[in-house]
Amino acid sequence: MLNYIWLFLIAIALIVGVGKDINDEFQNTYQNGVPLEVAFLSPQILSGTAMRWEGQFYLTAKQFNDFYKTTSQIEEVNQPVVISLSSDGTGSFIFSSTEVTPTRWKEMSKSASAKGTLMGKVEKIEFSENKSLGKAKIIFEPIRFVKLKAITQAAIDFANTAVEIAIGLIGVMALWLGLIKVAEEAGLVKVLTRLLTPITKRLFPDVPSDHPAIGAIIMNTAANMLGLSNAATPMGLKAMEELNKLNPKTGTATNAMVTFLAINTGGLILIPATAIAVRAASGSANPGIIIGTAIFGAGCATVTGVIASKILQRLPRYKNKLNEEEKLAEEKGND
Amino acid sequence: MTDLFRTVINLISIFAIPLMIAVFLGWGFVKKVRMYEVFVEGAKDGFNTAIRIIPYLVAMLFAIGIFRASGAMDLLVLIISPITNLIGMPADTLPMALMRPLSGSGSLGIMTELMKTHGPDSFVGVLASTMYGSSETTFYVLAVYFGAVNIKNSRHAVPVGLLADFAGMLGAVFICRILFGI
Repeated sequence: MLNYIWLFLIAIALIVGVGKDINDEFQNTYQNGVPLEVAFLSPQILSGTAMRWEGQFYLTAKQFNDFYKTTSQIEEVNQPVVISLSSDGTGSFIFSSTEVTPTRWKEMSKSASAKGTLMGKVEKIEFSENKSLGKAKIIFEPIRFVKLKAITQAAIDFANTAVEIAIGLIGVMALWLGLIKVAEEAGLVKVLTRLLTPITKRLFPDVPSDHPAIGAIIMNTAANMLGLSNAATPMGLKAMEELNKLNPKTGTATNAMVTFLAINTGGLILIPATAIAVRAASGSANPGIIIGTAIFGAGCATVTGVIASKILQRLPRYKNKLNEEEKLAEEKGND
Repeated sequence: MTDLFRTVINLISIFAIPLMIAVFLGWGFVKKVRMYEVFVEGAKDGFNTAIRIIPYLVAMLFAIGIFRASGAMDLLVLIISPITNLIGMPADTLPMALMRPLSGSGSLGIMTELMKTHGPDSFVGVLASTMYGSSETTFYVLAVYFGAVNIKNSRHAVPVGLLADFAGMLGAVFICRILFGI
């Protein structure tokens, strides 16, 4: 099933991306080639000659929305810009995308020829008498295939992110695997395991109750519930490795692995610290109010996941896969 | 009550790791384990495990990344929102529910955005943050945990994970409607 979901994500991304770009082309979403009239506020001469100006493009929200046929712009536009003019009064402008830049221009700048900056032609510019105000007619550089460019960028960025995450794990992995090894040698993990045997025996009937995997599972779950993700991941991976030692054939998930994963993806956590932090940062009167509701939601997820793993593992299509491999393993063992 | 619970859990979280280190090593000392050698022996595996995850994580994150970049989420929301409207789930929170199992950073972004536009104490804000706390990033966990032991045939893990996420989201809508309902 993972195959299909993976393919679905990629296929739908490509189809939607191409579709949106074609649609943009026909609708001319980015108004390629259409002149826009803007006010040029507080012009300042940059160089000695009167050829380079610094100032701001000004548009009311309505002008902006009318031009791009959207409703998204709420505030008036005040975009700092640099204009270079030649002797015949035409020229070019350039600005970089910053916090004050409207969302639409930000989007456009992402797939512009120089990333993060938007350029264009100045068709005509008129200054008021004291040169304190100007009126310009501008045309942006053509913006095309926004989504396809974004997809290309995302493919590369996320491949890098994946490696960064994995490399970032090395340190904490080594730390916790080392500590767990000490606890194992000292027999501490066994003590911990024995305490929770009544529960773990039911959840993982295929795993001997004094197996090191159970100890790692318990520690992983405890760390997860306390929100100690730095410790939880290494312990979870340790648990997977121990469970894999009981696997009749490597490469195929066992029942215990799926149940363990169900507990993990349920994400039961006593204090959802990230959500609370974001709530506090956005000015909530009571950021912690979601503790109870989140525990309830995660409880639903975890219970459903565990029950689903127990039921689905009996389905012929999943059961057969493991049985075949068990047989294969047995045959190999007999040889 | 909530505050007391929060303080206690926060205290436990702060003390947990130093305490674990102390207990692990202390117990090892009592049992006369040659700790330094054993620690190094165990830590050796850290590198290999982390490296083994890379291909799985690249495959997963790249697919999710281009899915996010393409704007396909808007299309999915358009298709699914008539159904979720029936159970009283605001359409604004649907991207949150769909993104949660796929991407941790993506759903964090959506949650932040929703709070900015609707306010953190509005129904949408409370529901979005509850949803965020109600589930883990299923596909990330799947890639990392199965990647670490080279599992390619995940059997029923994906349906189980998705069912759990579905239940988590329904649970979040249910409890928020009861407690903070409209």
